[in-house]
Amino acid sequence: MKKSMLQWAGILVVFILVLTLCIEAKDTNEILEHRSDLITIDTLKSFDALERPKVVFLHDLHTEALEKSNKDCKTCHLSEKSSKDRLSLKFKRLKDTGKQEVMDIYHAECIGCHKEISASDQDAGPVEVCGECHKKDAGLISSNLPVAFDKSLHFRHTEANKDEKTNKGDCGLCHHEYDEKAKKLFYAKEKEGSCRYCHMKETEENRMSMRLASHSGCIDCHKKAADNKKKTGPIKCSGCHDPDMQQKIEKVKVVPRIERKQPDIVLIHANKQKTNKDDRISRMNPVPFDHKAHEGYNDTCLACHHASLDSCSKKCHTPTGSKEGKYVNLESAMHQKGNKKSCLGCHEINQRQPNCAACHSLNAENRMLETSCQICHMKPLLKNSPATTMDEKLMAEMLLKSKKAASGTYKDEDIPEKVIIKELAEEYEPVELPHRKIIKTLLNNIKDNTLAGYFHAEKGMVCQSCHHNSPLDTKPPRCGSCHSKPFDGRNIFRPGIKGAYHQQCIRCHQVLKLEKPKSTGCTDCHKDKKK
Amino acid sequence: MSISRRKFLGWMGAAGLSTAFGSPVHAAANKHFKGYPDSLGVLFDSMLCIGCRNCEAGCNKVNGLPPPDLPFDDLTVLSKKRRVNTRTFTVVNLYDHSEGIKNPLFRKIQCNHCLEPACASACFVRAFTKTKEGSVVYDPSVCVGCRYCMIACPFEIPTYEYDKVLTPRIRKCTMCHPRVIEGKLPGCVEICPNEALTFGKRKDLIKIARDRIRKYPDRYVDHIYGENEMGGTSWLYLSGVPFKELGMREDLGVTPAPELTAGSLSTVPMVAGLWPVLLTGLYAVSKRKEKIAKIEQHQAIASTLEKANAEAESKLSKALAKAQKEKDAAIKIEIKKALEEAKKTQEKEGS
Repeated sequence: MKKSMLQWAGILVVFILVLTLCIEAKDTNEILEHRSDLITIDTLKSFDALERPKVVFLHDLHTEALEKSNKDCKTCHLSEKSSKDRLSLKFKRLKDTGKQEVMDIYHAECIGCHKEISASDQDAGPVEVCGECHKKDAGLISSNLPVAFDKSLHFRHTEANKDEKTNKGDCGLCHHEYDEKAKKLFYAKEKEGSCRYCHMKETEENRMSMRLASHSGCIDCHKKAADNKKKTGPIKCSGCHDPDMQQKIEKVKVVPRIERKQPDIVLIHANKQKTNKDDRISRMNPVPFDHKAHEGYNDTCLACHHASLDSCSKKCHTPTGSKEGKYVNLESAMHQKGNKKSCLGCHEINQRQPNCAACHSLNAENRMLETSCQICHMKPLLKNSPATTMDEKLMAEMLLKSKKAASGTYKDEDIPEKVIIKELAEEYEPVELPHRKIIKTLLNNIKDNTLAGYFHAEKGMVCQSCHHNSPLDTKPPRCGSCHSKPFDGRNIFRPGIKGAYHQQCIRCHQVLKLEKPKSTGCTDCHKDKKK
Repeated sequence: MSISRRKFLGWMGAAGLSTAFGSPVHAAANKHFKGYPDSLGVLFDSMLCIGCRNCEAGCNKVNGLPPPDLPFDDLTVLSKKRRVNTRTFTVVNLYDHSEGIKNPLFRKIQCNHCLEPACASACFVRAFTKTKEGSVVYDPSVCVGCRYCMIACPFEIPTYEYDKVLTPRIRKCTMCHPRVIEGKLPGCVEICPNEALTFGKRKDLIKIARDRIRKYPDRYVDHIYGENEMGGTSWLYLSGVPFKELGMREDLGVTPAPELTAGSLSTVPMVAGLWPVLLTGLYAVSKRKEKIAKIEQHQAIASTLEKANAEAESKLSKALAKAQKEKDAAIKIEIKKALEEAKKTQEKEGS
């Protein structure tokens, strides 16, 4: 009996030990390393289904190892045929010729190099066991972030490549066009656009993917500059893609405007070649647009010119929509809500900042006055002016100058200083609303906002945030004339008077994150009734 | 009367058959019920709830419930995951929420007043009634205290007065049925300052909820909880986060509870109701059989007796005839003997 008890105790102890070991082992596994230089080698999947798990390759680890033994990129990357300086991004080959060949290159070259290094008694990668490279779970997490090539970075690149004598930047270093006939790249002055207009996500025929284009273009240039002992950008993965390293990228505070002979002011209207006089779009007044100002609000041309720098309405967003533009017609392209690429969409997203949302998440959110169209589609100053380019520009300038961009409202004496709300004074004393102070605060919040300025220039517009559905006037109807008894079956969407007051006040205070009055602090607004 | 095994099995078979034939008829009567037309309900909008606990206070007041352990203006209790109990018909809880929603999220818990209540379908004494106004009300006078309703309710709402030994009741929100009949608002709805609770016809509430989702697509999840859950409830909910994050069950499906159990449960009243009839019937049948058997037995005995008598008579007559024959034969033999002896003596005398 005693012996068997001891046996069981022994088994239990061993069991617990194994269990704790397993748990600990699992715990250590869960602390995954974050790296920005993970490259997944799965080239063979373009030929056949993979037989073994993909290889996770740490690029920076290899670059550093090569640096130590005074070797360079050419150890792994071959020179392209076109130019000796340009290296192929593929490993030890220029083209993926066939499954067996590619596999052999990797196996022979990787293992060969590892063997060579380990023979000289140095740390090297796997040599024999397949599973050491072909791991199902490498236990690594990619912290690789895309690079934001913003205005500041663009400016720094132009500055760095300025000719010392002429003091002019060499845009052609990066920007180019493709000559179909000569099958050559060439630089077209003042035609520069985003790389992404041509270099798409995937490689197409003679056009490499954005990934390939940026890696070969950027790194080649950085490397050449580094070889000439010049100050230059990163060469390793982490230099551009590591979140911490990205924070360290120098920022130019005031970035001068990119000079590309783009217009300062444009008169936007539907495609000029109108044949039909009854075209609905042509009836709308054209929009004078401050292009220069909008350049300042955005980091890249892509924000609006998402596919090309050509006219929006010419080929893609035609008044009735076309296949090239995925049938997004001009009206949608300019007014689609929730889409940052459209004018209205971007303005609306801007409206989500607390100072705007305080009012715009209440009643104004879905309300648009008929007159607000004319804030952009301004009435022409000169009727029947011939539509020449010169005149257009002039007209746009004049229209923009005539535009008021200042939020305003009535004179102080027309705004009641205090409003006493006594409709519901049963349990509490009537509420004393600091009416004028509220309006002043709301106006003060938007005083530097040009966009808000255009739309709130009309007196009484700011009042609409609370006095919604009322005429623009100094004496709007009382809240109680519409909001009375709650849950009226005839007006199911209309809150009762108590709900209307509370919803409006509380929502605005929540958006503006006002500490006091607290939404649950009844006596913060309502004084207790003296009994 | 003793029951033989054979008879007992026969009765069981008969009972089984009657339920088997009975159930389809009953199930057909239990088809999807869309709710009473114009029934009332409440829409709870979690994006408007500010967590003031006024509804809890209002409920307590109109229902004359005992005072709570902590006063209603103590808002620290919100972060505990409280449940309704016999002294509290509604509670508001604060829920942890995902990032992006700036304000704290609350949910009010009370009876959802299902269109086809699970509690009512589980109750075999019909203590629960779905009124045409929309409330699910409870009648303590018929309740036997089985607490099946508590097990049946998917929202864990009915609670039982375990502390009352002699008169325990099930307690739950009534959607203030007595007040609603008088044309008043439910206590919680009336007191809510922010109209986070909207009272009205259920069909209008759905319209209001849809309108809010349409107007503020960024603010609300595109779903009205209770529109179809468990076949639909009279309380409806709107939320800015998935309802699971407000501690609400998303696994309930859209089938009303009675429909799920109709097949098996519909046989319960059938069996309970028909057993006496069936047993009495079977008893009567067996009694009649016995009576008939008795009569038959009497007849049989009579006929046997008759038969026996007749047989006996014929036997006797045969025996008598036989005896007569034997007698005659014996006489003849005796006569013959006597004649021969006489002849012999004559011859002796003669010789």
